[in-house]
Amino acid sequence: MATSLTRVVELRVSNHKAYVWDVDDIAILRAEHHICGVLTGTLPHVSQQNVFLGPPLILLPEEVVLLVQKEFAVLVDDPIAHHTPSTSKLRRWNSDRLVSIRAQMGAVESKEPNKKAESLSEEALRKRREREETKAAAARAKALAEGNTEESTLQDNLFSPSPSSSATPVPPAVDERPATPATSANLLGSLYTVTIPASSPASLPWYSSDGLTYSTLESAKEAGIWTYPSDLHERAKCGVFRDLWENGFYMGGGIRFGGDFLIYPGDPLRYHSHFVGTVIDSPTAALMPMEIVAHGRLGTATKKAHLLCGWDDEKQEVSYYSIEWAGFG
Amino acid sequence: MESHPSYKALEPLLKTYPHAAGALFQTYNDLSLAQQWNDLEVMDVPECSRGAFRGRRPKTDDLLYVIPCSLSESLSMSWFHQAFERLGKPPHIYLAINTEDSSIVYYKLSPGIVKPPV
Repeated sequence: MATSLTRVVELRVSNHKAYVWDVDDIAILRAEHHICGVLTGTLPHVSQQNVFLGPPLILLPEEVVLLVQKEFAVLVDDPIAHHTPSTSKLRRWNSDRLVSIRAQMGAVESKEPNKKAESLSEEALRKRREREETKAAAARAKALAEGNTEESTLQDNLFSPSPSSSATPVPPAVDERPATPATSANLLGSLYTVTIPASSPASLPWYSSDGLTYSTLESAKEAGIWTYPSDLHERAKCGVFRDLWENGFYMGGGIRFGGDFLIYPGDPLRYHSHFVGTVIDSPTAALMPMEIVAHGRLGTATKKAHLLCGWDDEKQEVSYYSIEWAGFG
Repeated sequence: MESHPSYKALEPLLKTYPHAAGALFQTYNDLSLAQQWNDLEVMDVPECSRGAFRGRRPKTDDLLYVIPCSLSESLSMSWFHQAFERLGKPPHIYLAINTEDSSIVYYKLSPGIVKPPV
């Protein structure tokens, strides 16, 4: 693992949800802390797709609690960390944006005409010149025949500039095609650019998390930005999550298999989950045999075991039972 | 029930734990007659107010433990814990879940995080 990556990650909390916007932070959480979260950012053009998602990463509340308790991350009150920008900062932001747009257009411009130039061989260019000369000669001859010598002279002079003719206003030459530079200018005018900021909002000049950063759950709770865990069930889920994490497992949301967590032996990109876990709030909490049948049978059918994760709030301990179908009866 | 050939082996536990008698009787008959288990013994698990079984599946040597319950009962993590303690901490216990129509389904419970077979 790249040890140089290590730093305390700022989790940006908005409406009691924690987001991670910086890809390096996402990498740190996953590679060093075994915390995966869920990518939720989609593309503006295909907002319905859910295959290729990107930042922001949303974290499970249990993941947030663990990261803060282990001092791997701090919580930032995100909405008010965006201060009102001053006019000069806004101007700067806008001019940066324009520079970016020009850079993108420049990149397109240098690509597109090159393509055209490549496709036109020298032979073709010579032929085109010949065609244009013949055409001009024909036009001259026609104009001469119509007795309109004055204008044709002027047109000729336009392309062999002399002080006398350039001073005279000239009617536009209708059958003259616009030259190449003009074409590319039109092309540019029809382009538009969309910049999707891939960087953290922390890079905005008016963003400042000073005084809005909380390194403990208690201080974040006092500030009113983070309340999880607030009851026994939430404490049980956090306790179970932490215990599994300390045992080296990776956890994901368990909704797809009807549990609280999916439990992976390594990074979910490399492993199938071995267990679906349900959290049981206390050693005496009611557990119906029907749940065992339902979970056990589904687990066996999906090559997983079901894991009952029992939380003891007094001892702050977790005990586990693995369930599988017996294979007989 | 009293005239059934299985009654004699179960009599004391059926009388001690009448609420669990149905599941105990049904599970014993299933293991001994339908599943053909060998060396089937009845054990007392007072913490769970019921009897349990120890025996071997046909053509195997492993001693397996079975604790019966009814589908409508309410169990708990501590119930499992006490059953394991009383039965001598075996690597796993089979929970025999009995329904009113006398069908039984067995689930294997293992303490700890036990990886499923590949």
